[in-house]
Amino acid sequence: MQESEKINDYLEIVRQQIRWKKAHLSVIEEIRNHITDQRDAFIDDGHDEDTATEMAIAEMGDPVIVGEQLDRTHRSRPDWPMLIMTIFLLLLGLSIQFLVGQDIPNGKELFTKQVVWTALAILVLLTAYYLDFTIIGKYPKIIFLGLSILAIGSFLFTQGNALYSIYPVLLFPTAFAGFIYSMRSKGYVGIILCGASLFAPACISRLVPSLTFYFLLCISCLIVLTAAIIKGWFGVNKLYALSIIYIPTFFVWAIPYFTNFELNGDKRLQIVLNPLSEFTGSEFIKTIVKQLLANSQFLGKGLPVNAPVSGYGNYTGLPILPEAHTDFLLTYLIYRFGWIVLIVLLAIFVIFFKYALNICMRQHSVLGFLSSLAITLTITIECILYLSWNFGFMIFTPLSLPLLSYGGRALIVNIFLIGLLLSVYRTGNLFKDNASIAVRKYNRLICFENGKIILNIKD
Amino acid sequence: MVIDKSLLTGSTTLLILKLLNESDMYGYQMIEELSKKSKNVFELKAGTLYPLLHSLEQKDFLTSYEKTMDNSRVRKYYKITKKGQKYLHEKTEEWRTYSSAVNSILGGVSFAGI
Repeated sequence: MQESEKINDYLEIVRQQIRWKKAHLSVIEEIRNHITDQRDAFIDDGHDEDTATEMAIAEMGDPVIVGEQLDRTHRSRPDWPMLIMTIFLLLLGLSIQFLVGQDIPNGKELFTKQVVWTALAILVLLTAYYLDFTIIGKYPKIIFLGLSILAIGSFLFTQGNALYSIYPVLLFPTAFAGFIYSMRSKGYVGIILCGASLFAPACISRLVPSLTFYFLLCISCLIVLTAAIIKGWFGVNKLYALSIIYIPTFFVWAIPYFTNFELNGDKRLQIVLNPLSEFTGSEFIKTIVKQLLANSQFLGKGLPVNAPVSGYGNYTGLPILPEAHTDFLLTYLIYRFGWIVLIVLLAIFVIFFKYALNICMRQHSVLGFLSSLAITLTITIECILYLSWNFGFMIFTPLSLPLLSYGGRALIVNIFLIGLLLSVYRTGNLFKDNASIAVRKYNRLICFENGKIILNIKD
Repeated sequence: MVIDKSLLTGSTTLLILKLLNESDMYGYQMIEELSKKSKNVFELKAGTLYPLLHSLEQKDFLTSYEKTMDNSRVRKYYKITKKGQKYLHEKTEEWRTYSSAVNSILGGVSFAGI
């Protein structure tokens, strides 16, 4: 074993030069394989093992120089464009809230609150950035349970405002990526268990009730599961596996549209889900939105609009649009400053999603890929639903316009997701699917052994 | 001794990308192939190769995947990306122009037309 000790000594010196600890495992393993290959080649040439090892090590070059060069290549670099865009959107959100604040009652008070939430959001962003995202693959059941408790708890304790509890559940699609990851090679049973795992979040979305979240959950989880199947994660026939998930999904969504049941259900949902409809009627809001948009200009404030009901509301600048700072921010901005705002915002979000997708595509590990995909989908669907609502397509009550619209809970959840995405960028490619599964068996947070519950707190 | 590092790294990058454009390879294989193809003129040190491979991967010129061998050893294979192929094409053209210019001044044979 003297030979392997020499190799280990060499590798140890190389390792000491690389400051970023996360990079150690994959880099050192590759160098070790190289030395072993070289040694075997020298043995084949007729050298004895000891000489072959020494020659192979000598071939590698000075370990300090090799280590230093690797250190230069492997530095924990943030995704600067993404990080800068996130900070920019946060500040833009604050500026927009300041402007809207001039036009709505309690505007200044709301703005001050949003400043506090933004400061908190920066802390959350940093925390999520330095968080090891692989925990979602290591402890998926605990995370699912924790999220469910958080959502139900927030539902019970936000008396009268059940909609608040949907924000924690926005983390479910990402947790679902971790759950899929834990079902590796479990075959069709694994796929069915993945479907079943969505029962809890689906129930929560019924409890709130939030058709928006139900839709977001279905679409994002369906895409993530499809991606996992296509990557061969379950080790089954891909066509059969896709049929298992798509045929039932099709019926769940399509049957109501072929029966009379759908009409009553939809109307009821409209009333329950749209809080504005209780006092204004959704048709009324739709008319206002359409009028405001029709009278908006390309640049500058829109033309005067006649309120469908005189004397409604008490806003100074935009007297007839309720919830301008939360659900109708985009309609407000378009009317107040012109269509140019929409073009600029769309451009920013398109670039943002392009970078987010880049992060997904760069991932080698299935966990990195699925979790970054889930995060990107959550935020993208949120944006699309918000846009459609602001253009008068009022089926899904919007959750938020990420980082821009008013609301602390939505801001914290979205910034946490973005922080996690940046964390995937930072460390995703150093994570190996194979290694972690082997480690997971011996490194569970909670294990049951000989009738005892063992909490494994040390990572 | 003063060595123009950018020129050195540039040409090594070109050689590696060219090798990977033919087939996916792991590090050791690349050094062997390079030495064989250049008739032992290019003896690339492993200590130079890996930092270079890793930085090319970060620039999205290469991607890598792992393959478990018969002896249960895991090998990291590198594969050229479309971006890498494009870069290789551009740099090859640049190299041809440069070398033909040098040759025409030195009075040697120009390979530009070949």
